[in-house]
Amino acid sequence: MTDKISSAMYDLHHINALASRDQWMNNKHPLVKLIITVFYIAVTVSFDKYDLPGLFAMFVYPLAGFILSEISFADTLKRIRLVLPFVLLLGILNPFLDRHVIMLGGFAVRGGSISMITLILKCIFTVLAAYLLVATTPLERICYALQMLHVPEIMITQIMLMYRYIFLLINEVGRISQAYALRAPGQKGINIKAWGPLVGQLLLRTIDRGTLVYESMLLRGYSGNYDYLRERDIIKLSDLGYLAFWTALILIMRLVPVITLIGQVWNF
Amino acid sequence: MELLKLENVTFSYNKDRVILDNINILAGPGENIGLIGANGAGKTTLLKLLVGLLYGYGGRISVSGIEVIGKNYAEIRKRIGYVFQDSDSQLFMTTVYEDIAFGPRNYGLSETEVKRSVSKAMELTGCSHLKDRQIHKLSGGEKKIAAIATVLAMDPQIIIMDEPSNSLDPKNRRNLINVLNSLGCTKLIASHDLDMIWDTCERVILLSNGKILADGPAKEVLSDERLLTGNSLELPLSAKLAKFL
Repeated sequence: MTDKISSAMYDLHHINALASRDQWMNNKHPLVKLIITVFYIAVTVSFDKYDLPGLFAMFVYPLAGFILSEISFADTLKRIRLVLPFVLLLGILNPFLDRHVIMLGGFAVRGGSISMITLILKCIFTVLAAYLLVATTPLERICYALQMLHVPEIMITQIMLMYRYIFLLINEVGRISQAYALRAPGQKGINIKAWGPLVGQLLLRTIDRGTLVYESMLLRGYSGNYDYLRERDIIKLSDLGYLAFWTALILIMRLVPVITLIGQVWNF
Repeated sequence: MELLKLENVTFSYNKDRVILDNINILAGPGENIGLIGANGAGKTTLLKLLVGLLYGYGGRISVSGIEVIGKNYAEIRKRIGYVFQDSDSQLFMTTVYEDIAFGPRNYGLSETEVKRSVSKAMELTGCSHLKDRQIHKLSGGEKKIAAIATVLAMDPQIIIMDEPSNSLDPKNRRNLINVLNSLGCTKLIASHDLDMIWDTCERVILLSNGKILADGPAKEVLSDERLLTGNSLELPLSAKLAKFL
């Protein structure tokens, strides 16, 4: 169990380290990246449940993003493996419930299978896009972008503190489970009788530590305002170009059946 | 003029138990004061009151003439740097540089000024080599030094520290003492490590059950075996050696 916790902690720190690199993609304005990500996610989920070829074209954005930001795609897939079972669970019954037969590339296929695949792809693409955003943008800059969008301060503070809380929580879970394992040798997992006090302790300890972190932020002038990033994060012409390029491309991929057209040209 | 002034300060979490009782302290610029006392004596409570992390106290606390009350917290926190006992709770950014820059940025300094403040703080604490290191990869000693740098970057008039030498090995502890001795600002250090207090402070205040039991020159207070043992403390090794010699 402690191995799994260490691995989760490592993953979180890895994302942090990726986000704080001095890299082309990281240096793009956070607001531009946030808008593209939200737009991409909205467009991706808007595809019809049987429009598999159309959805395939949407893979361009995460693919290009991972290449441009020099983040390992294989590593990322490994990292997001935790969400895959949930995604599968969501669509697993589709082939049994949806028995429509539809034509895809000249083949008759059961609609439920297609809708299951589109559901899985939608989830994977949106998770990849969100991962791309957090792996190329430190959270303070994302918060600054949210502030620019006039998202209420209380919500931004919640996001920021929740993010910090995840680190504390995993750290404390690690400590508690290590202490438990040392005093319960040979036992697999945590005995059900111990769950109550352990979870209670975990809550109290993380609240304590969370309070300390918040106090430390307050003592160094934190007021929920990210205006100090204004000087560093200026929207440049290249940022606007990047935004225009991706919004146009995402729109084209939504409105034009690119993959179908390529297929037709190929057949011709 | 006194930099730090506590007049008849009292504090309690509930009516049954008084945590601080009629505390009076005056501290001038550049003074190094050790705050000692057994567990539960009220040291941390006192430190937290100074920066407004606890409020609702009786009496008056002021820093450079500015009273420690809600509307002045931002100004007070600019003047007083608080180094936590647990550095893990103090450091929350990704890299050492980002963490040290957090305070100056929040106080509206330009990026050039931020860079200058961070460099100066890292130079003072000798942690320039840690600039790009990730916080979670630092050792306990490095974290403590980085935590002090985060506070120094805001150029405070007073630094208050809660058990700074806690869980440091002898080498890191010595390094910490050297760093503390090289800083010119006023310092208020709460600690059980009386040897460190002996090495860093010229004045010591002994707290016991929320009251000041002794306030005087460090060598004098820390050599009073009866006073120390009567308050769950021990004569520091340096004092023992001084007696022996």
